Amino acid sequence: MKIIEKFMKFIALMLYLILAIIPLYWIIITSVKDIKEVFVFPIKYLPQVISFESYRSLFAFTNFAIYFRNSLMVALTASFGALFITMFSGYAMSRYGFKFKRNILISLFFTQAIPSFLVLVPLYTMFAKAGMLDKLPSLMILYINIMIPFSMIMAKSFFDRIPISLEEAAQVDGCSRLQALFKIVLPLTLPGLSAIFSFCFINTWNELFLAVMFINSDLKMTIPVALNSFISKIGVGWDIMSAGIVISLIPTLIIYAFAQRYIVAGLTGGAVKG
Amino acid sequence: MKKNDNSKIFLIMVLPSLISVILLTFVPFLSSFFIAFQNYNFHDLSNIHFIGFENFQAVFNDVNFNFLRILLNTFLWVIVSLFFQFVLGLGLALLMKKPFKGRGIYSGLVFYPWALSGFAIGLIWAWMFNGQFGIINDILQKIGLIHQNIGFLSDTRYSLMSVIIANIWYGIPFFAIMLLAALQSVPLELYEAAEIDGAGYFIKLFKITIPYIKPVIINTVLLRTIWIINFPEMIYAMTGGGPANSSNILSVQMINKIINFLDFGEGAAIGIMIIIIMSIYIIIYLKIISREELAF
Amino acid sequence: MKRLIIVMLSIFLLLSVLSFSALAAKVELNFIEAYTNPDRKILLKEIISDFEKLHPDIKINLISPPYEQATQKIVLMLSTKQPLDIVEVKADTIGLYVGNNYLLNLESYLAAWSDSKTLLPTVWQLARTVDNTAYVIPSTVYSRTLYYRTDILKELGVDSIPKNIQELFEVCKEITDPLKNQYGFCFRGKNQQIDNIHYLVLPFLDDLDTNNLYRKTNGKVVWDDPRVAEALKLYVRLFKETSPKDSINWGFNEQINAFGAGITPIILQDADFIGACDETIGRDKFMMAPTPVGPYGKVYIIFSFPSLGIVSHSKYKEEAWEFIKYFLSPEVNGYYNKNSSGLPIHSVTFKDDPYFSSGIFSPWAYMMEHPEVYVVGQPPRASPKYAEWMQVSNDDLQSLLLGNMSIEKLMNKWAEYWQ
Repeated sequence: MKIIEKFMKFIALMLYLILAIIPLYWIIITSVKDIKEVFVFPIKYLPQVISFESYRSLFAFTNFAIYFRNSLMVALTASFGALFITMFSGYAMSRYGFKFKRNILISLFFTQAIPSFLVLVPLYTMFAKAGMLDKLPSLMILYINIMIPFSMIMAKSFFDRIPISLEEAAQVDGCSRLQALFKIVLPLTLPGLSAIFSFCFINTWNELFLAVMFINSDLKMTIPVALNSFISKIGVGWDIMSAGIVISLIPTLIIYAFAQRYIVAGLTGGAVKG
Repeated sequence: MKKNDNSKIFLIMVLPSLISVILLTFVPFLSSFFIAFQNYNFHDLSNIHFIGFENFQAVFNDVNFNFLRILLNTFLWVIVSLFFQFVLGLGLALLMKKPFKGRGIYSGLVFYPWALSGFAIGLIWAWMFNGQFGIINDILQKIGLIHQNIGFLSDTRYSLMSVIIANIWYGIPFFAIMLLAALQSVPLELYEAAEIDGAGYFIKLFKITIPYIKPVIINTVLLRTIWIINFPEMIYAMTGGGPANSSNILSVQMINKIINFLDFGEGAAIGIMIIIIMSIYIIIYLKIISREELAF
Repeated sequence: MKRLIIVMLSIFLLLSVLSFSALAAKVELNFIEAYTNPDRKILLKEIISDFEKLHPDIKINLISPPYEQATQKIVLMLSTKQPLDIVEVKADTIGLYVGNNYLLNLESYLAAWSDSKTLLPTVWQLARTVDNTAYVIPSTVYSRTLYYRTDILKELGVDSIPKNIQELFEVCKEITDPLKNQYGFCFRGKNQQIDNIHYLVLPFLDDLDTNNLYRKTNGKVVWDDPRVAEALKLYVRLFKETSPKDSINWGFNEQINAFGAGITPIILQDADFIGACDETIGRDKFMMAPTPVGPYGKVYIIFSFPSLGIVSHSKYKEEAWEFIKYFLSPEVNGYYNKNSSGLPIHSVTFKDDPYFSSGIFSPWAYMMEHPEVYVVGQPPRASPKYAEWMQVSNDDLQSLLLGNMSIEKLMNKWAEYWQ
């Protein structure tokens, strides 16, 4: 009985794996095919020749390296920025009582319900009047703002799990409130903070609509915009599109690989009782 | 903790976040709210004025984008995606609960979809569903399930189903990750006690495991529902809501009205509707679930 | 130490003044395109940099929004008076921009421009689409003509290329053999199916108002005319009997592939099809023929045309015009169209440039010399309903071909829509 069980479990796990990997495999294969092999029937599951022509075109004919750099700058800054701000906010929400605390929490939750596309036009007009269009820092500010609600809620739940007694013990030993925060509490919430950072990075790295509208100059474009611009009047240019998608996956997969355990621990930290 | 400097310190630490959200989310949202009641259309910007509920009426009575169909699609999109994401995610979590060799690498490979952008995933799946060069058509024909290419994304009968399939694939890792961690927190003594009483696998699952991780289930389902309703990028990349409104959902129609028809008033009206529906959902949800079971 | 500081400050001041004056001398123009695609972007940048070499005091920034969001972005930028000088205008947005006073009236500029004398008469007409005033100047013209696989048709024993729509159907039907996976007509079902109707249904009438092809000269809407029913019957037969079933979902890429594979060796397409086929099968395997005419010996040539305009709130109108003059000059325009697979706007280019006057482009010369057969006309593109119409008509046509809507029902629906 046990062997059959194990076997069935193995089959099931393999099925999940195959289903997960197929799209990734397919887009990677498409990106290393010769352009003539892409639109061909019968479909070639294994390329006859491995060709990096699509990648070469991607970097030679578009400014993809610059877009990559822009995306990296924006995503890193926005993620660290959101983390820094919500670190303090989350701590405050966890440790202090305040009359309208619950209202604030519910309002933050409510912001998740607001479609970002809805506020795009008023935001654009606002930034236009302030002369803040076509500037990467403006994009960073917008992204930080988007990430604040969820990050703050998550941060609060991480701090909730740290007993106040630790800080009180440190204060008895002569630490100030702030020192206790940095020396004692933060190190313990590192998994949670990594989770917040990764979550912010992945979301800001992939954001499309705000980037399209708020950035004009070619040299300031981010990757999602660039990928979107490979769709023209005649459809999707699959050679550079697949190469672009593969390249853009790399940072998120790296962050994801390193932070995976933290993400799991962090995300469920506040939700599991007991 | 000193009580008298509570509020001050609290405010200073929370202020940056609050200012940002108020200025960059709530204020524009109020703007949009008013615009929903104006004839804000880029075809004629000289004459913007208050028109009451006309935008809403236009959306309800739209001949080419049947509102009931859009509502139905939205409902199906959320419920079907959610259901399968949850069930398959739970299945995966259950399979992974007991450590096995290579579980670390396995989890990395099987959870990665979560890290991708909805838009890119939409494009990848659109390519797989392609009527001529898509591998889905090819594989289905090779195993004999169909005999002719199906236009998954260009046939009104299959478009909604196709985008939902892509969405399920995208959402399984989220539930699997959350539920796996929750499963790992269930005390083993509970199982041991049940086994002594002769409980089988499914009884253990339904009577012990699921009730114990109920808080996590409640949280993730609530959050996930909100995200899914508001998730237009994948459908936008795959079908744009078409053909003929067959895969259109509220958030995609909102984008459609703004980008293609340049009618921001109607777009805002749809946005308001989305928020109202979500608020009703949240309120009902909160009423059913008692307060303490939420993480807040 | 003091002296060092003074020297450094002076150098700093000098450099600032120099760089400031250098900046002050350079005019920066912002040029936004509406048909972004990676290849054309490189071409545009090349042309821009050549222009900048000739005009060292002008710098041009090319803004390239993704194609699908281009109109929305342009409209947002124009409505909030962002610094924009040159705007590429899609044919169906001219009315929108003019209505909002975003575009400068170019009549006086055109009058003073020597090269305007060689602009094709059609180009003048298209430039004056709105209010019979030139607010834009086309940079390329596209219209549908017939393309066919020379080698495949020869193999199949076809020796005469269809000249009218009936012949088109018959030739395609003759070579269709589903068992051999051989079909005739390369159908496009995915989007903009209305273009098929423009070329395969409208020629069945001879009393159309060329300024609005959806109306007859007696003012009545065209869609409930019995001749349309006759044309639609043939249209449905063309799809059902000469084209593969899944062509109802074919877009541009699928068409290129099917044409390239020889499955459907006859197609009605725009000139940018030529560039795509050059890449996939090579110029020697296909040829163009004039657009097939209808039973009255006429066909309505509907040009789609990207065009350039000057933004009305631009601070550098003269400099913007300098670039437009350069870009639309016969030599540069010819070069541009040669490399972006479009048709140039000057008659001299067709006459003098061997690329455009021979080989695959020669039917064009014939068509332009017979304007009574190849009648230039426009659908009601300026109508605010037109954008929506593209989607509506596409859905209805799909229903028609799938058998879910009768010809009569479609005709009545469309007649009502344009009433």
